[in-house]
Amino acid sequence: MKLITAILKPFKLEDVKNALQGAGITGMTVSEASGFGRQGGHTEVYRGAEYTVDLIPKVRLEVLVDDKDADSVVDVIVKAASTGSIGDGKVWTTPVDQVIRVRTGERGVDAI
Amino acid sequence: MSTRERRDRSNESDRFLSQLFHKAIQDLGEAELGKEIALAAVGGYGRGELSPGSDLDILFIHSGRVSSEKLKALVNEVLYPLWDTKSVDHSVRTRSETRDAATSDLRVATGLLDIRLISGNADLVANVQSDALELWRKNAKENLQKLHKSLQERHTRAGELAYLLEPDLKEARGGLRDIQALRAIALSGMVTVPLEKISWAESTLNNVRESLHIASGRGKDRLLFQEQDKVAELLKYADADAMMGDVARAARSVDYLLDYTWHTLEHKGKDGLGRILKRPRVATVAKNVSASNREIVIDTFTSFNEDPVVGLRAAATAAQLGLPLSLDTCTELSEALKKGEGVLSNPWPREARELLIALIGAGEAMVGIFEILDQEEIIFHWIPEWMSVRSLPQRNALHRHTVDRHMVETAVHAAALTRKVQRPDLLLFAALFHDIGKGTQEDHSERGVRLIEPIAQRIGFDAKDIEVLKNLVLHHLLLSSTATRRDLDDPATIASVVSVIPDVNTLELLHALSIADGEATGSAGWSEWKATLVNDLVQRVKRAMAGAEVAQQPEVSLEQIAQAEKGVLRVTLEEHSSGYAVEVISPDKPGLLSIVAGVFNISRLDVKSARTKTLGNSAVMYWIVTPEPHAPEITDTKLHELIAAALVDSKDVEEKLFARAAAYASIPTIPVPDPEVEIFTDAATDATVIEVRSHDRPGLLFRIGAAITQSKIDIRSAIVTTLGAEAIDTLYVTELTGGPLSSERANEVASHLKQALK
Repeated sequence: MKLITAILKPFKLEDVKNALQGAGITGMTVSEASGFGRQGGHTEVYRGAEYTVDLIPKVRLEVLVDDKDADSVVDVIVKAASTGSIGDGKVWTTPVDQVIRVRTGERGVDAI
Repeated sequence: MSTRERRDRSNESDRFLSQLFHKAIQDLGEAELGKEIALAAVGGYGRGELSPGSDLDILFIHSGRVSSEKLKALVNEVLYPLWDTKSVDHSVRTRSETRDAATSDLRVATGLLDIRLISGNADLVANVQSDALELWRKNAKENLQKLHKSLQERHTRAGELAYLLEPDLKEARGGLRDIQALRAIALSGMVTVPLEKISWAESTLNNVRESLHIASGRGKDRLLFQEQDKVAELLKYADADAMMGDVARAARSVDYLLDYTWHTLEHKGKDGLGRILKRPRVATVAKNVSASNREIVIDTFTSFNEDPVVGLRAAATAAQLGLPLSLDTCTELSEALKKGEGVLSNPWPREARELLIALIGAGEAMVGIFEILDQEEIIFHWIPEWMSVRSLPQRNALHRHTVDRHMVETAVHAAALTRKVQRPDLLLFAALFHDIGKGTQEDHSERGVRLIEPIAQRIGFDAKDIEVLKNLVLHHLLLSSTATRRDLDDPATIASVVSVIPDVNTLELLHALSIADGEATGSAGWSEWKATLVNDLVQRVKRAMAGAEVAQQPEVSLEQIAQAEKGVLRVTLEEHSSGYAVEVISPDKPGLLSIVAGVFNISRLDVKSARTKTLGNSAVMYWIVTPEPHAPEITDTKLHELIAAALVDSKDVEEKLFARAAAYASIPTIPVPDPEVEIFTDAATDATVIEVRSHDRPGLLFRIGAAITQSKIDIRSAIVTTLGAEAIDTLYVTELTGGPLSSERANEVASHLKQALK
């Protein structure tokens, strides 16, 4: 099993969610996040004074999938999240040892 | 789900415990033991009120003649069979140990007031019962103080039952524990408590709690969303909203009776002979309104028909001073309004509108005042539309409060943001009414626009302001939803916002409203994350719009120009709906604005607005002032004399002003945001524009004027506005030699002004 983590622009969340649902993914975890990558924040002018915004609001999305689905799900996310401009975010996968559904105690792929 | 079922459950427990008790005595083989010991129920169980998940609060009372081993064996034998099925809270004490425990622990003392024999020696229980009541009455004063303190702590912790969407039925303010407290207060004999007024509330809350225990299968008292539908169904309510409405109504009546009871207790002994011998200190704080015994009252013999604004004046004064509004005053006002006395004209007089804004803008202090206006049904006479959101639940995981309380909380948060906008009055008003459209299936923003229009008209806003208010209500979710769901880098996103928000001032208002609304919703609705996104959007939209708008310099008439050219002082006074309109044409001199403002202040005339302009060597000023209560009669001649003297030597005015400021310092105040000073350069007039946003207070304009004079700059014109309790002063200034200030000079003046206004 794999955990797919995606850092997205907040406004892209709706598109990505819809695309994932279209691909048969029904569960996901979404949280508010902030950070910066290669774009390195940007400069703002507020009431005449310049200041640097180094932490930019993003959305962090996490999905658990079976190994065989991982690549296709990553593709779905990347396609839906892309605007082509800087700050579009990143997607990565991590191997997962075990998954347990708390209510039923099911384990492994059944618990996804 | 009824008192009957809870009583049956309690009787059932009695039988079971009684059997266990007898069996234990038998097993120990000592029949005599039954005379030395008794088993009693205390607290809610003592009253026979047992919900499925309630604890069994029991007390073993013994004579002290039983050995500790035997006692231990007996208690264990009674409790052991209950271990898995019931949650039992027990204690084992002699009569004197019980007395000691009751003296040192308030909860024990109140729990014992409901003690009831289950089994064993009845005399032991009867003694403890009479001790408990005797002790409670003997130390009533001290006990009630402790009780009050513990209640306040619990209320802070658990919040208000009436307004929380997932409340704790027992612990929250207005909940079941408060009913027990009221019963304990009644038993103290210190005051009569009309407990019959809350009998409906008590059975309603108990029924809901009982059903919650049944529905959840647990003894928890917090009514979570996930249980509300099931509980409502068990109680045969149409839906969960109907049930939550009943819970809120019940809680409010409990809370109100509790407030009323504390109020009566606190004012006890101040009536009768005591009052004649030592009159309470009464100070007039506004027309027909006084502070007496540290609360705000409407003066006796005030005619509500002659002074229909007095109710709003009392409420606003109380809120602005951070003092409570007298319950007697509210009852009297409510009675009068019900009889059709003291009805406000439509539209409201300007004073009434300003007072409403001052009330809304008082921040935290407003919440208590608003609640009493609601409980006494005064607010519905002023704003009938408020009825439709009263105690209205919102079944939305983001919200914590009912609709009415959410709007009041939003206004509290908005009061902290009044410096961020040019029209604090519109911000506060929109905050208090932004969700007025809730309660139907229709989109609440769209319905809100239809509702806000007649309210704003009645309250007396002009057509232009009403348009702004409608925009604010319609778009109060626009910034949050756009910032989190749309691409801010896309020019189309910014254009879509620019197309519906007409100007920078509305944008600033909307930004402040979004923040206040979000903060009032709670951490689920507003976070640093969201604030950053919304701020980003606002800055981008601002850049796309034209620059900020400031108050324009006033126009002057030909007659005024002719008079100004003469260079002689002229003062004309006219009656005005808010008091007087005063025109002053005077030879210009440094500090003129603060001198004239100072003369008004020492004449006890409150400046509401001013427009001044310098023409050559003269200045034309137009002031609207309101006399304070007990202000001496004023005439053109008298004012002329005072201003003429002050123009020659202003020392006298300054001294009197400082004396007045010192006297004002003793009046209670509420926390207000710091003043803000903004500076722009106005290319069209070749002057620097200084905008001061501050809480209005006596002598404000004098201080501003004096600070400017000290900075050695020239005021070309000034536009002063008071909106509720907020003041916005716009000054067009130049260097003494002419021309705008350099940016260093401007910053210097701004920091000097801020310092002077602290």
